Amino acid sequence: MKKRGTGLSCTWYGTGYGNGFPDVSSAFVEIHDDGTATVLTGAVDVGQGSSTVFAQIMAEELGLNPEDILVCSGDTDVTPDSGTTAATRQTYNTGNAVLKAVRQAKLRLQEFAARKFSCPSPEGIEFKEGMIGVRGDPSRSMPLSELVWEARLLHGERFISAASFTAQTTPVSLENGQGAPYWPYAFGCQAAEVEVDTETGTVRVLKIVAAHDLGRAVNLTQAEGQIAGGVAQGVGYALLEEVELTEGRIKNPAFAKYLIPTALDVPEIESMIVEEPEDTGPYGAKGLGEPAMLPTVAAIINAIDAAVGVRITALPATPEKILAALAEKERGGSGD
Amino acid sequence: MVELELTVNEKTYKLEIEPDERLIDVLRRRLGFTGTKEGCGEGECGACTVILDGRTVNSCLVLGVQAHGRKIITIEGVGDRRRPHPVQRAFVEEGAVQCGYCTPGMVLSAKALLDKNSDPSPQEIGVAMSGNLCRCTGYDKILRAVQRAAREVSGK
Ligand code: FES
Ligand code: FES
Repeated sequence: MKKRGTGLSCTWYGTGYGNGFPDVSSAFVEIHDDGTATVLTGAVDVGQGSSTVFAQIMAEELGLNPEDILVCSGDTDVTPDSGTTAATRQTYNTGNAVLKAVRQAKLRLQEFAARKFSCPSPEGIEFKEGMIGVRGDPSRSMPLSELVWEARLLHGERFISAASFTAQTTPVSLENGQGAPYWPYAFGCQAAEVEVDTETGTVRVLKIVAAHDLGRAVNLTQAEGQIAGGVAQGVGYALLEEVELTEGRIKNPAFAKYLIPTALDVPEIESMIVEEPEDTGPYGAKGLGEPAMLPTVAAIINAIDAAVGVRITALPATPEKILAALAEKERGGSGD
Repeated sequence: MVELELTVNEKTYKLEIEPDERLIDVLRRRLGFTGTKEGCGEGECGACTVILDGRTVNSCLVLGVQAHGRKIITIEGVGDRRRPHPVQRAFVEEGAVQCGYCTPGMVLSAKALLDKNSDPSPQEIGVAMSGNLCRCTGYDKILRAVQRAAREVSGK
């Protein structure tokens, strides 16, 4: 018989290295005289989209298009260290370093522009759609490329900067549990609907609704992609994936034996982006990566329980384990 | 060494290869079509997908000599930045590319499907794409992209 059930789970997750470990990202920036800019960081984009995020941050600050930004990342010959692409930290940590760096170079350009346009303060200079000029006075503005050209070639100015950002955490006191081991925290909540076949023990995940607080979505499409990717990994974690060991050796080091979800195994995914700005993040943003997969697992396990009344306590919830738990329950056990 | 003559992206090549050389190595190493990716080397991931006489194959499981006298399409033959194939355009528009490693194989599987069936059902799309593994996207936007491309190709 096929039985359906729904399950819910919540997660909170400390992003970054944490526990006072130096969590530092760095960036080099240059604004060029052709209306483009370059940013160099050690952050590696492994598909989560950090390079796009950095291009967007640069473009936002300079009033350019993201296509006008060259992001050079993860080249140890030339890029400054930005730590690992891990711990859900690149948008927050390196994003902050990029923002800090571009604002420094930008300030020097604003100072130059303020002198040129006889504007009393550099803050009065704005960047918009490739133009730079006095806020609210389009008659006193010119293309960014021309101003940078003039500054560089007639006045010897350079708009180059370097900055680092360090996430603020402290070790936890083992005496009293006090401290700030991580910052910031990411929050999420997911609901799963599953169908369990009581004859075969197989579980089909029908739908996942995933709500995640990421502070501020720098790139909505990428955020949705990270959520869907996390959910798919969570489905694998809950139902399929197991590293089998004998005497320290992995018995299934290949896709033929270590199964990951295919296009036919992923459920319908509905993502809900919650934007509760994080004061210390770039434009309020914080990480999303790992937290997207964590609640999927518990939501599915809870949904299995709701469907057939058995509690699976060891992952993955394979058909064998579910059938054994159902048989146990039949014999009058608790199903645990 | 043995002689091999094959057509890749409508151009014919004559070359000498080892008898036990895999098609993926002929394409990548000898002919420079590095858009074809190797994920697992054992026929499970689909990253090495190419279209051989109209059918998708895992080029890691095909011997080079098996391609003798046959026609192959690799990702380089599908489209480029200036003239993207509808599937490629849909992948960009839907945001279906994350790390990109699975993407060439995904695009070729989708193209092969749409070449045969321009109005596939969601189930048919799922089956056609299920031989290509992706670890990043959760397939959600990939499946949407294939649907979008199908709408464009079929004019619906
Ligand atoms: S490399 Fe050929 S199927 Fe994985
Ligand atoms: S986009 Fe990374 S494996 Fe598919």
